[in-house]
Amino acid sequence: MMESGKVAVVACAGMDKALGSVARASVFKVVEALRPEKTELVCLPPLLVGVSSYSELVKNFPVVVVDGCAERCATKLVVKNGGKIRGRILVPDSVKKQGLVPKSASDIGSDGEKLAGIIAEEVASMVDKLTEE
Amino acid sequence: MGMAANKVGIISCSGEEIPEGTISRIATRLVLEKLRPEETVTICLPLFLAGSEDERAFARVFPTITVDGCDKRCAEIGTKKYSGKPTATVVVTDILKKYPQLNLKSRDELNAEELELAEKVAEEIAKKVDEALSQKRGAKRRKS
Repeated sequence: MMESGKVAVVACAGMDKALGSVARASVFKVVEALRPEKTELVCLPPLLVGVSSYSELVKNFPVVVVDGCAERCATKLVVKNGGKIRGRILVPDSVKKQGLVPKSASDIGSDGEKLAGIIAEEVASMVDKLTEE
Repeated sequence: MGMAANKVGIISCSGEEIPEGTISRIATRLVLEKLRPEETVTICLPLFLAGSEDERAFARVFPTITVDGCDKRCAEIGTKKYSGKPTATVVVTDILKKYPQLNLKSRDELNAEELELAEKVAEEIAKKVDEALSQKRGAKRRKS
């Protein structure tokens, strides 16, 4: 039985790009610090291979995705698994908007951390709106 | 992918849900950046689905090692499904059995103990990189 009033958060698990690492860092901030009671972090790789318990999560909860690059893997995988995306952030857009450039995939650096914090706040605000509906 | 001659592809689960996913990711980056930087390349696992035929050809072009955090083995299954059979596989939870005293907690930043485990996983991956390259060279010699 799914708990109501929760939002599924899905991030690009980007391995080879700094922006993927920012996406990942931002959702950890949301699910561990900002909105732990209201969110469910959905691991992306099981959506790729079709693990049903993970597909159920994106089908049953409104979904917020954070994509690390224009390939938009997180978005595509949520859609493929029947999820309804109710909020989206594309990290390259946030980089442009904030003028903060992360250092590398293994160390996003202080600008990357700041950017992850800003994105996390945006996701948290989307979560609040979705859970108040 | 024209530089494939002496490279091994490493595909990590990178899963966000459990600390073992983070260990996979950090261990893979340690191999790519420190242990075998000249011999290894990587690709994001989900890109097999989202990307083009170029990305999907990855495991057909490179001998590939998958690194999974748990026994769902998403990297191994995903690679087989979308690209090609991996040459070797590493599963963090299997390696963890050798260290029952470890209690993994961090999904974001690893503590010293978890980082030590990531280094051990990285060494295991590096060993498999060397084996894959040696197999490749052996096969090349037999052909010529």
